[in-house]
Amino acid sequence: MLNEEKIYMPVPQQMGRGDRMGRGPYEKSGIIEDTGLPPHKTVEERFEVLFPVEDITNDSGRVIDRKLLANELDVKVELWYLPYGTRNSDPFLWREAAKTISISTEGR
Amino acid sequence: MKSNSLWIVLALALVLVPFLALAGDEGTGRDKTIAAKQGKANTIAELVAMYDSSSCEECHLDIHADWLKSAHSRSIFGTGRTAATFRTTILNGCMEWPYSGVKEFEEVKVEHLQGCTKCHLPQLADATDEVAQEMMNTILTFMKAYQEGDTETFEKNKATLLSLNINCLVCHNRNAIVHKWTDGYPQQGVVYGSMEGEHPSDDFPAMAKSPIMKESILCGQCHGLGPNFELENPTQCATAYGSYLWAYKAEGGRETCQECHMHKTGLGHNMQSYRDPGMIEAALDFDVEAYGMHWRDGSLVSPKAVVKVAMTNKTGHSIPDG
Ligand code: HEC
Ligand code: HEC
Ligand code: HEC
Ligand code: HEC
Ligand code: HEC
Repeated sequence: MLNEEKIYMPVPQQMGRGDRMGRGPYEKSGIIEDTGLPPHKTVEERFEVLFPVEDITNDSGRVIDRKLLANELDVKVELWYLPYGTRNSDPFLWREAAKTISISTEGR
Repeated sequence: MKSNSLWIVLALALVLVPFLALAGDEGTGRDKTIAAKQGKANTIAELVAMYDSSSCEECHLDIHADWLKSAHSRSIFGTGRTAATFRTTILNGCMEWPYSGVKEFEEVKVEHLQGCTKCHLPQLADATDEVAQEMMNTILTFMKAYQEGDTETFEKNKATLLSLNINCLVCHNRNAIVHKWTDGYPQQGVVYGSMEGEHPSDDFPAMAKSPIMKESILCGQCHGLGPNFELENPTQCATAYGSYLWAYKAEGGRETCQECHMHKTGLGHNMQSYRDPGMIEAALDFDVEAYGMHWRDGSLVSPKAVVKVAMTNKTGHSIPDG
C-alpha cells in the first residue's frame, strides 16, 4: 500500500566544490549535508498511512460518505545498514518491528 | 659528454639527500626507527618483512586470533572491494586528472597511493615507488584473474594483498606515537604498550610506554577528520574521528574508542562494527509506536494510521561513517 524509505548518511561533496555528491574516496572532500544519526541524539520519524476506504458518492458525484474496507492495518518498519548504499549488496537488517493497528468500528 | 658528467653530479646529490636527512636527525631518535635502520623496502616481501608480526602469534595467541578477524588484518584487500577501489582511484581519479603525473598504471608512485594508504597501509611511506608498482600490478592481476575465473592466480595475488595490513607492529611500534617530538620516535626492537621493561622476544627485546595507547587519538590518526589536506590532492574516506571530536566529545561524550570497541564489547583486538550482532545491538535504541484514528477530513472521516519511530545513536560517532 505504502512503501516509504528514508536514508541516513553523510553526503560527501565532490572535490570540495559545488552541489555534486562525490562517490569514491579519491574525489570526496567536504560534505553537502549530513542526514546520518548523530551520536547521543534521538531522531524521530513520523509516517502516516490512510486506511483503505471506498468513497460513496451521491447522484451529482459528490463524496458523501466513506466506507472503511478494513479496520486493521499491518505495518512493518525495518532499519537496514547498507554499506554500499543498496540492498543488493551486502545488506544488514539491523532492526525490525511489526505492528497491527486497528481502529474502532463503533461511533460515527 | 658535458651533459653526461652533469648527470653524474646530480645523481650523487640525490644519493646524499637521505643520508643528510638522517645525519640531521641524530639525537632525536628518528635514526633508530625501523624505517631508518632498515632503509626503504624495494619489494612487497621486503616491506612485509620490515614490519613482520608473525613472531608475535607464538605468545600472544588469542590477540593474534582476534586481530585476524578484524578489518585491520586485511586493510588493503578488505572484502575485495577495498583493493578494487584502489584501481578505481587510479583509473577514474589520477588518470583523469591532468596534473597527477599518471597516464598509465606503470606511472603510479607511492605518492599516488598514499591518499589511501596513509590510513590503509601507513608503512607504504617506508617503501620505494617500485613497491607501489608491485602493489598496483598485484591488484590488476588479481582483478583480471577474478574476471577470467583463474582461481590459482586469483588466490596467489589475494594472498599477497592480504600480507599487506595493519598489524601488531603498526599499532605497537610504527604508529604507536603520534607526537614524535614530544614523546620520541618509535624505536626498532621496542613494542609500545602500557608497560616498561624487558620483553621476551628476540627481535623486540624491550617494552615501552606509549602515552596514547589507551587514547582515542591512536585510532583517530587513521579514522579520519575530513579532507586529508596534507596531500597534493586531498582524499576523504573515513570521518569517524571528526564526528567523535565534534559531535560526541563536544556534546559531553566521555568514552574512548578503546573502551567501547575493545573493552565493553569484550572483543579486544577483534574491533568490529555493523556486521557484528553485538555491535548492532549496542549501536542504537529503536522504538516504534503505532496507533490509528478516525481523522476528520472536513465532514468526511478518513481513518489513518500513525507510525512513530525514534532512534537514539548510542555510539561515539555518527552512523554511518562517511
Ligand atoms: C616469547 C614470547 C613473546 C613474543 C614472541 C612476543 N611477546 Fe609481547 N609480551 C610477552 C609477554 C610475556 C608480555 C608481558 C610482559 C609482562 O607482563 O611483564 C608481553 C607484552 C607485550 C606488550 C605490552 C603489553 C602491555 O600491556 O603494555 C606488547 C604491546 C606486546 N607484548 C606486543 C608484542 C608484539 C607486537 C610482538 C611481536 C613483534 C610480541 N609482543 C612478541 C611475550 C611475547
Ligand atoms: C583518513 C584515513 C583514510 C584514508 C585517507 C582512506 N581511507 Fe578508506 N577507510 C578508512 C577507514 C578507517 C575505513 C573503515 C571504517 C569505515 O568504513 O568508515 C575505510 C574504509 C574504506 C572502504 C570500505 C571498506 C569496506 O569494504 O567496507 C574502502 C573501499 C576504502 N576505504 C577505500 C579507500 C581508498 C580507495 C582510499 C583512497 C582514495 C581511501 N580509502 C582513503 C580510512 C581511510
Ligand atoms: C589497530 C591497532 C592495534 C593492532 C593492529 C594491534 N593492537 Fe594490540 N593493542 C591496541 C590497543 C589500543 C591496546 C590497548 C587497549 C587498552 O588497554 O585500552 C592494545 C593492547 C595490547 C596488549 C596489552 C593488553 C592486552 O590486551 O593484553 C598486547 C599484549 C597487544 N596489544 C598485542 C598485540 C598483538 C600481538 C597484535 C597483533 C596480533 C596487536 N596487539 C595488534 C591496538 C592494536
Ligand atoms: C593505522 C591506521 C589505523 C589505526 C591506528 C586504527 N585503524 Fe581501524 N581501520 C583502519 C582501516 C584502514 C580500516 C578499514 C579496512 C578495510 O576494511 O578496508 C579500519 C577498520 C576498522 C573498523 C571496522 C570498520 C568497518 O567498516 O567494519 C573498526 C571498528 C576500527 N577500525 C576501529 C579502530 C579502533 C577502535 C582503533 C584504535 C584502537 C583503530 N581502528 C585504529 C585503520 C586504522
Ligand atoms: C560509546 C561507544 C563508542 C565509542 C566511544 C566509539 N565507538 Fe565506534 N562504534 C560503536 C558501536 C556500537 C558501533 C556499531 C555501529 C555502527 O557500525 O555504526 C561502532 C561503529 C564504528 C565504526 C563503523 C562505522 C560504520 O559506518 O558503521 C567505526 C569505523 C568505528 N566505530 C570507529 C570508532 C573510532 C575510531 C572511535 C574513536 C574515535 C570510536 N569508534 C568510538 C561504539 C563506539
